[in-house]
Amino acid sequence: MSIQEPTYTFENLPIAGVDAGTNLLVTGPALGGIRELTLRMLLRRHSREGALFVAADVDGRQTLTDYQALGGDVDFARVGVVDCTEEGADDDSCNVHAVGSPADLTGAGIEFSSLYERIHANGASRVRTGIYTLSPFVVYAPAKSVFRFVHTLTGRIRVADGLGVCAIDPGTVDDQTLSSIAQAFDGKIELRESDGRRKIRVRGLPDQPDDWQPVEFEH
Amino acid sequence: MRELTVLCADADETERAVTRDALAADGDVDVVEASSVDEATDALAGERVDCVVTAYDLPDGTGLDVAAQVRETSPDTPCILFTDVSPDRIDTDQREDVVVEYLPRDMPGARESLARMVGNTVTERTQVGYPLPTAEDERLAALEQYDRPGLEAADAFDRLTTLARNRFGVDVAFVGLIDAHEERFLACAGSEWETLSREDSMCTHTILEDELLVVEDTHADDRFADNDRLDELDIRAYAGVPLETPRGATVGAFCLTHDEPRTFSEDELADLTLFAAEAMDQLELRRRLNDSESEGTETAGTDGEDA
Repeated sequence: MSIQEPTYTFENLPIAGVDAGTNLLVTGPALGGIRELTLRMLLRRHSREGALFVAADVDGRQTLTDYQALGGDVDFARVGVVDCTEEGADDDSCNVHAVGSPADLTGAGIEFSSLYERIHANGASRVRTGIYTLSPFVVYAPAKSVFRFVHTLTGRIRVADGLGVCAIDPGTVDDQTLSSIAQAFDGKIELRESDGRRKIRVRGLPDQPDDWQPVEFEH
Repeated sequence: MRELTVLCADADETERAVTRDALAADGDVDVVEASSVDEATDALAGERVDCVVTAYDLPDGTGLDVAAQVRETSPDTPCILFTDVSPDRIDTDQREDVVVEYLPRDMPGARESLARMVGNTVTERTQVGYPLPTAEDERLAALEQYDRPGLEAADAFDRLTTLARNRFGVDVAFVGLIDAHEERFLACAGSEWETLSREDSMCTHTILEDELLVVEDTHADDRFADNDRLDELDIRAYAGVPLETPRGATVGAFCLTHDEPRTFSEDELADLTLFAAEAMDQLELRRRLNDSESEGTETAGTDGEDA
């Protein structure tokens, strides 16, 4: 039992706070609110928290626009994006760093490490990292490299006391691959929609609600 | 912590010396130096390296060429690009799959960060290209108790795999132990495989399973479809059962492979499980024999894993 306060908390979500260094896999259908859930889990709770996005489905600028729309505080010294979409372009004005393709895992890893260092150096002692989504990497890159990439990201987040929130649409990968990837994470957040209501469930983490919890989304 | 060997590649002698001294400062790191891709390649061929730290610009290529060499020879070894070249100047063309860590050399305290990162990437195994069991350290400790000299020569495993190959009518039947970086085959009926890197080995996935792993067609499974090594070995179908010690650590697998897609019936899988249980019993008996020989009158100990 830890008497320490959890480091990362989530406002207006039925997810209890988690310790520094935690990596979470968020699963759910792409159109079922998984994007909003991921962005909301990235909301900074104070100015010394940083937010770093690895964007593969939606480009960097759009990611920041959506983040802002949900109340995300966009301070570009401590918020930035590694844009892995095909259309991605560098944009210094909003700290977006383009990689050019989700097949370029080496480039994505280097931009991620570099941006993480800079956000840290700019005074963010805690950094929330959101990967939205992992699916394009799995589709375009060899399996071995995807494992290496995921281990590299989660490893850095773990030792740097960060928070990792990695989204994947189970419809885009086979079950075996998904369960192999899930092994690199401390816990899993499942999102589903039934009877027109969205619910989430937390698996694999201590001190969390153990059943499906209703969750309200704006979109 | 055991001593680490770190390969440090940098053409600039002054920078390289400062990096070397920073890494060697805590006494547990042995640094091997290289000033080019060629020299780094020779060093990698010559000895076991735990981690590679490389500059980006080298006289005969880049740090990513060094990383590509690492992925060929010892794919698990973490590589750190330690450079003041900014990410947008780094050319990843043809090197999109190598995946490295990147640490800017021009930041304050960069070399202290580097020393920490070397330790972390090695102990946390952050650049392995396959899923890891949750208690990998404990698993490896348990494996050490079973992995004794002479095991490869044990006729019992040859007999078991020969029987299995005949029973199932498959190309190859084998018993393999999965160590930190590769699978080593104790017996292999139908082929002469000796080792396979973990990222190429299907058994690396089997040891994560509670019961068994069956892949009827490797080309139809995303985990293996782009694994060229399996094609080179004519592996198109696979069934493997983990070898689990009495204390619950998975040390290896008993497996069948075939050169064409095929199914495995429930009866066949039940029998394969019996073969695996027999192989594990053989390992367990050998461990106890070894323990009682080496410990004399002492009673046989544990298999190395905390209960």
